Order: sequence, then structure tokens, then C-alpha cells
Amino acid sequence: MLELGFDAITWYLVISTAVLMFGMVRLLLVRDLVARLVALDVTGLGVLLMLVALAARSSDETGAQAAETGAAGPDAVLQALVITGLVIAVAFTGLGAVLIRRIEGAKDTEGSDSGEESPSTAGERDRDD
Amino acid sequence: MTELVEFSLGALVLLPLLAAAVVMLIGHTARRVLGVVTAVVTAGFTVPVVATVADGDAPELVLGGFTAPLGITLRGDGLAAVFLAGTALIAVVLTVFAALVPAATGEHLTPSGWRPGHPGFWPLWLGCWAGLNGVYVSGDLFNLYVGLELVGLTAVALVALGGRKSWDPALRYLFIAVLGSLLFLTGVGLLAAVTGTLDIAQARAVLEEVEDPTAGLLALSLMTVGLGMKIALVPMHRWLVPAHSAAPAVVSPILSGLVIKAGLVILLRVWLWAVPLVAEAIWLAWLLGALGAIAVLVGSVLALRQDRLKPLVAYSTIAQIGYWFLAFPLLVTEHDDAGAAPGAYSAIVALAVGHMVAKGGLFAAAGYLKLRFGTDEIARLRGAGAQYPALILAMGACAVGLIGLPVSLGFAGKWQLATAAVGAQQWWVVVVIAAGTLLAAGYLLRGIAPLLLQAPQESDHQLPDTGDETAPAAAGSKTRAEGAGELLILLLGVATIGTGFLGSWIYDLLGVGLW
Repeated sequence: MLELGFDAITWYLVISTAVLMFGMVRLLLVRDLVARLVALDVTGLGVLLMLVALAARSSDETGAQAAETGAAGPDAVLQALVITGLVIAVAFTGLGAVLIRRIEGAKDTEGSDSGEESPSTAGERDRDD
Repeated sequence: MTELVEFSLGALVLLPLLAAAVVMLIGHTARRVLGVVTAVVTAGFTVPVVATVADGDAPELVLGGFTAPLGITLRGDGLAAVFLAGTALIAVVLTVFAALVPAATGEHLTPSGWRPGHPGFWPLWLGCWAGLNGVYVSGDLFNLYVGLELVGLTAVALVALGGRKSWDPALRYLFIAVLGSLLFLTGVGLLAAVTGTLDIAQARAVLEEVEDPTAGLLALSLMTVGLGMKIALVPMHRWLVPAHSAAPAVVSPILSGLVIKAGLVILLRVWLWAVPLVAEAIWLAWLLGALGAIAVLVGSVLALRQDRLKPLVAYSTIAQIGYWFLAFPLLVTEHDDAGAAPGAYSAIVALAVGHMVAKGGLFAAAGYLKLRFGTDEIARLRGAGAQYPALILAMGACAVGLIGLPVSLGFAGKWQLATAAVGAQQWWVVVVIAAGTLLAAGYLLRGIAPLLLQAPQESDHQLPDTGDETAPAAAGSKTRAEGAGELLILLLGVATIGTGFLGSWIYDLLGVGLW
């Protein structure tokens, strides 16, 4: 397929779009909660991969602009976006995992011992109204 | 004076964020005190910003002295000022309400079972408020994204405070909210790749010189779809009703009144400030307008069919969201005329702020009733008005705002929208507004009127668990704090009417710092 004349960055863009689409379709079609969370992560990775590829490309094509912003390598602005995106991906995966664990725990036991409480509910001395 | 204004601009975002971190470290009663203090001080910081904007200046703060594209710029313009002021009002009222009625913040699990009140509410809510203010004053797309994520993730966690029944809706909300912001992030990345900057003003300047609009249009479409998911525009609205009705009493008004407005503000920033692709984006604006019309009609009809109060109010939110998008075709087609576009724009803002106040009050009242009676089935709340006259008065006043009767911002917004539609000769918009208004009157009457009726004397079809002599039985007598909470909800009802007089002031304010 390489004879299509794509350079490496274009390949990355194509791959990232495919990853994004697969993740999104899976997210919208599957019912299992863990599978949906993983699909959401895959979608997020597709987006981040696309941003990295775009960062590399824009430093290739608009070298003048990169010099203007003082960034020697790939586009610093886009890379900052990617790092923030990674942090947020960790945050939502954690939140989703806690919620799934509680939902499944409640389904399994129907008792009061379903999962841990959030750390903020440790001492309970709030009953004076 | 300028230093105070710049300081306030930064403090509006950073103070609630700092308080959210501090509040996690302290005890439960202290959280309520610190929460209220933070709310009042943050609302105080709103005053100098709004006052400066009202004088015609648009204050700007460059954090740390780093300029764009890598630095962070906070801007206070007309749009920011209007939403800052509205949010401050709702936030202070709801914060005090949550402090007075801790049971409204959800329920949490202890070794002895589920107990009312969830201390996790305080850090999450303050973090959410910081995100909201960040979205309003942010001058670049990057911070818009960060603010959007902060608001989205804290909102999901706030829904989950409602106990076991709320976890499924919260997870569903998480999937949609994150997918929406990922699409928004893709659009931001595309824009940054094309323009080499994330600053809204700089991006606009670069885009105006780019001949090929394809990349900008693609970015605009991606951001619009992503934000449509977060705002719950009609084909993407299914998550909203379970999430907003399962949320705790004080969280529902936050979600419905404030959180979805963050998406709307970003959408306006993108459409009017960041991407000047008006001519090429007309088809997208018409699509949004058509979806808005469907939202108004379908949301209202579905609201009419609800038997429970909180889902009814949630469907009414979907219908009200429709009005904002209904104005989008007018916003764009008349853009170069310079006459009608500000009309459609201020109509959107007036409707959104009116909805903020009215829905905040109505959802708080509905949540409070559910808390007191243990149910929000309208049939079983029959006659509740006799015990809660202030609450019913508040609900009536909020209904006035939601239906769009004079005097309220809902009326001012619908009036401006209809005027803009007539000016552009789009008569179908007027028809949709009229139909939506009639349906709104229907479903709100259906929800509120039974509360005012005489309670049935013999309770023949009551479930055994209520075991009451007059149909709706409140769980225990109300404390003095809860009585004060009712007055706070009444305050929101009064504000629904009171803000109606500010229509022209908002119109003038919005002119400051316009694209």
C-alpha cells in the first residue's frame, strides 16, 4: 500500500482516524460496561494519536511558524494538548472504573458491602442538624 | 481599579479551585461553613468584573506574563459577564441551600446503612464552579477544553452522589460527556494545526486569511457535534433525563441550570469568535435550527407524558435547549447585515440565563419535594401545596419564566427571537415558539396544579409503606433550616421574575467585546 505515496505522518493520521472510528462504533454498539469504558479509552487514544501526528506535520509544513513560536521540534501547543488529554483520560478511566465496580458490586451482592466508599466519606460526624 | 478587576478575573477561577482542595481536608460541618464563605466571596469577585464590562471595557489578564500562543489569557467580555453574574446568583443560593439541608446533597454508605447527605458534594461542587467560571472567562481554546472537562467530570461525580440508583445514569453520562469532549478536542487540535495557535483572537485572525475553509469547517463540525452531546441537543439527549432525575436534590438544579450552559457558552465562543466561517457553515446552522425545532416539540410532548415531577422537569430542559439552537440559522444568515444577528445572539443568551434561574428554582423545588415525601410521583404529591405554600409560589414563578410569560427573561428572549425571525422572514420559527409556549404551559400546569388541589380524604390506592391519613405525608416535621431552604428556593422564583426587567441591560452588556 505504500506506493500510494503517503508519507509516514499521513499514515499515522489514517491509522488514528481508524482507531478513533473503531472505538466510537464499539462504544455506541456494545452493552457490557467494561467493554464500553475500554472503547472510550481507545477512542481517546485515537484522538491523541491524531494530535501527535498533526503536531509532527505542522512542524514539517510550517517551519516558519514553529520558528516564530520558538518551538524547534514538533508543535509545542499541540503536544501540550496531548499531555492534558492523557491526564484527563486517566481521570475519566478511573472515575468510570469506580462507577462500574460499584454498579457490578451492587448487582452481585445487593447488600451494603458493595465496593469501598469514596475516601471523602471517612469520618462521619455530620448528623447534627 | 484595573488591578482589582484583573485580580478578580483570576480569583473567579482559582478561588473555588483552591477551596475545593482545602475543603477535602476538613471535617463535614466545617465543609459547609467554608463552602458558603467561598461562594459569597467568589460572588463578590464577580461584581468588579461585571461593573467594568458594564462600563464598556473588556478586562484581560495574562497569567504569569506569558503571552499567547503558549500563555494563558483570561478575558472578561459581555458574554462572560452575563454568565458570571447569573452563575454567581444561582451558585450562592444553591450553596446556602445545600449547607442548610445536607440531605439534599445525596446519600452515603456507612457501616450502619445508607445515610442522608454526602460530604463529597462540597469539593466536587466547588471544582465544578471553578470550571464554569474558567469556561466563561477563558480566552483560548485550550482552557475552554480544560474547563469543559473539569465541569463534565465533576458533574458526573455529582450525579453519582445520589446513591445506588444514580450510578447507572452517572456512568451513561460519563460515556457521552467524555465522547463529546474528545470530539471537541479533535476539533481544537485541527484548528491549532491549521492556525498554529490556540488563542481565540489569534486563531480567528489566521483563519480569516486562509483561503481553503475545509479544515476550519471540519473543526467547526466536530466541535459542534461534541458540544451538542454535552448540551443534549435532541438526537443526543437520551442521557440527560435519567442523569438529571436521579441526581440529588441540590445537584439537579446545578446540572440543568449551570452545567449544560458551559457547553452553550463554548459553542457561542466557537461559532462567533473562533471560526469566522459564516458563509460556509450555513448548512450546519440550518441543521442545528431544525434539530432545535424538533427538540422544542418532542421535548415538550414527552414532558407532557411524564407521571413524575423530576423527569417532567428534565424533559422540559430538553425542550428549552431547543430554543437556543432554533436561533442559530438567524445568527448566521443575518451576520453580515449587522442588524438581526445581535438580536438572535442576545435572544440565545437571554433564554439561556432565564432558563438558568427558572430551572434552578424549579428543579430545586422538585428535588426538595422528593426529599420530603420520598417520592416525586405527581399523583401522590397531590395536596402538598397546603404544607409548602412558599415552595409552590416559587414553582409558579419559575413556571412563568419557563413558559415565557412577561415579565421574565424567558419572555424577553422569546420576544427577541421572534423579532429576529420576522426580520429574516423565517415564519416557521415563530410557529415553533408559539407551539412550544403552549406545550410548556400544558406540562408545567400538569406538574404543578395537582400540588394545589385538595388532598383526597380517603387514601384508597395508597401503597402500604406511606401509611398516612392525608395523602402526602412529609417525613417528619421540618426544621427551621429547612424552612429557610424553602425561602431560598422562593428567592430563585422571585429572581426569575426580577431578572425579566434586566433584558435591555443584558442586551447592552453583550455588546461589549463582541467578535
